[in-house]
Amino acid sequence: MALSFVVVGLAGTRMRRLEWGGWVAVAFSAAAMVVGVLIGIGEMVNPGTYTDVRYTWLHLAPAPGAFPNGFSLVVGTLVDPISALMLIVVTVVGFLVMLYSIGYMHQDRGLPRYYAELSLFLAAMSGLVLADNLLEFFVFWELVGVCSYFLIGFYYEKPSAASAAKEAFIVTRVGDIMFLLGIFLFFYNYATVGPVGSGGWAANGFLFTNGNAPYLGAALGTGNQTLLTVAGIMILGGAAGKSAQFPLHVWLPDAMEGPTTVSALIHAATMVAAGVYLLAVTSLFLGFTSTDQLAIVAIGGFTAFFAATMAVVHPDIKRVIAYSTISQLGYMVMAVGAGFAMVGLFHLFTHAFFKALLFLAAGSVIHAVGTQDLFKMGGLKKTMRLTAAAFAIGGLALAGIPPFAGFWSKDDILSAVYSQLGTHPDYWPFFLLAFVAVFLTAYYIFRAWFLAFSGDHPRDPTLPHAHEGPWVMRVPLVVLSALAVGAGLLIFVPGFQSLLLSGNGAAGIPPMYGTTDLLLSSASVALGAGGIALAWVLWGNGRVFVLSESSAAQPVRRLLLDRYYFKVGYDWVGAKGVYTVARAADFFDRFVIDGTVHGFERAFAYGSDRLRRIQSGVVSDYAAYVVAGLIALFVLLLIVAPYLVAKIGGG
Amino acid sequence: MTDLPIVGFVGLSTALLAVGLFGILTRRNFILILIAIEIAMNATILNFVYFGAFSGGAGGLSGQAIAVVLIGFAATEVAVGLAIVLALNRLKGTINVAQATDLKL
Repeated sequence: MALSFVVVGLAGTRMRRLEWGGWVAVAFSAAAMVVGVLIGIGEMVNPGTYTDVRYTWLHLAPAPGAFPNGFSLVVGTLVDPISALMLIVVTVVGFLVMLYSIGYMHQDRGLPRYYAELSLFLAAMSGLVLADNLLEFFVFWELVGVCSYFLIGFYYEKPSAASAAKEAFIVTRVGDIMFLLGIFLFFYNYATVGPVGSGGWAANGFLFTNGNAPYLGAALGTGNQTLLTVAGIMILGGAAGKSAQFPLHVWLPDAMEGPTTVSALIHAATMVAAGVYLLAVTSLFLGFTSTDQLAIVAIGGFTAFFAATMAVVHPDIKRVIAYSTISQLGYMVMAVGAGFAMVGLFHLFTHAFFKALLFLAAGSVIHAVGTQDLFKMGGLKKTMRLTAAAFAIGGLALAGIPPFAGFWSKDDILSAVYSQLGTHPDYWPFFLLAFVAVFLTAYYIFRAWFLAFSGDHPRDPTLPHAHEGPWVMRVPLVVLSALAVGAGLLIFVPGFQSLLLSGNGAAGIPPMYGTTDLLLSSASVALGAGGIALAWVLWGNGRVFVLSESSAAQPVRRLLLDRYYFKVGYDWVGAKGVYTVARAADFFDRFVIDGTVHGFERAFAYGSDRLRRIQSGVVSDYAAYVVAGLIALFVLLLIVAPYLVAKIGGG
Repeated sequence: MTDLPIVGFVGLSTALLAVGLFGILTRRNFILILIAIEIAMNATILNFVYFGAFSGGAGGLSGQAIAVVLIGFAATEVAVGLAIVLALNRLKGTINVAQATDLKL
């Protein structure tokens, strides 16, 4: 158990500001990976164990009113099925991305900064996964958020990157505030709820577990239902901000301004998954009301479809993948909302690998040709065989073609949600949206593949001659390709299976496997294959499908390219609404607050100007002041004080 | 000794303190100020002696002991004070405290 502390400890000390810091970071992340995978295997061997090491950091004594049971702040690490699963993802992808960075980033300036920030991110992410209470979770949640901000703005001299970083930070901040409010509401509701005699869940520091099971146990869901619903919606808001779910999705495509490695690690595999992880943790340890569940399913299902439509038309290879990430996160959110947290996390697990693969393959392309515009690329499969193959494997996994990883997990989600349709008919529209998105997913990712790799030559002849990257870039591609093929098959490994089953223990329903619902699986595979086929017809072999200007679909295309005008809308709100408020606040600040401050300042300036005249520098004068003070004190103590005491009549 | 009123003794030391304070406040010569400080300090030491003697017993002895220690302190204080006088004289060419106004901004 102490090993997980080692992970956090190592991760913290990984910040070496050295020229060869890259290799140091790689070495430490490799160590973290070994430890992380060992913990994961340990959890698979003994599924369903909760290992919690914690210290009370601060304890407030009980106070009548506010804290009837006192209040503890706890710091600890918890290894349970879900954190073990996430730890594997974080450390494995983290290590591979670190290694890849050595090749991808070699000509960049500010490398120590890059590796330090990436290491800090990995440390914070491990901490988030291992946190054993909601407050500690929130602290790490903010830490990964700020790392994301740093890394999106890595090319800070580029205005678009700087503004994308700000956008990401501000939009996720909206979610963070909601998350914090959710914590408060849960605290308010649960402050006195908990096992008898232990003084309440929230009073004991928001712990997730009491050692071998979720802490709240039988008390789960008691209290004011309206309050709990609102709290759940707030948590959903926090998750939506981090996982870029509708309507807080706008920041993720712009976050592609950061280095591609960062997109792969933070904005595909780990940090954006933290929102899903939060929902999963909350659903397992705190529980959602049925209204919350519907809201989560709705947001997830709608986002899965909504983001996929935008990916269909985008010309930028990284943004296509970014929209795809939003869409896939929507699937996960939907699964968690339907009550199958572990199914969602299983998709998170496989998605992390194939999406990191797609990003790293895209990074390889960008590294080689120096552009992200799909319409300038073409014919790259001749010069970049490995990258083309890797991207194809990632694409097949994403499209949900068996036996690639995405098939197993995405199908799990669809059949899990399908199984709930009987009791929750209001899930239908969102289920259908998500189902249609399978087709779109297959289409857009293969559109990207055909545009970049098929054909005879690049459409833009000025592109530099493409070539594969150095071995440090090729190895991660190969490893991730293997994982993108095999990660889904892990579900047939007994240990992994029981890990998933034990994690869903609180929900009481085991996850279902794609094979149990053959018809649904074949339908989704057919949709996926159809999407690929359509992409081939329109874009295969170097073809470029041009929508005629008079086409009726033209406005739709423009709507999609403009992202449904969400960004424009948010900018307008920011410019008009927030600016007006800011102006008012500025006025208040300048005239009322500053006025008060300046008033004090002037009074003191005048007073001190007077006072300084008595500073003569002559020792005797100072001695005289001392004596005068002494006499004043005597007068006060011996004459005034007794007089006052006699007057008031006190003791 | 107990037949003498304590007011007389305390009055003596108060008078000494007043003399010392007067000297400190009115003299401009650093050495005279030092002497005045010594007078004021001796008022304090005398207080220890009186009250020690009045309380009697072990407490009384400790009063005398503190008086002896304080005499030692007074000696060191004078040593430091005279060192400052020398330094001041070297720096300013005078030991008139009214001219040593470097503390002023």
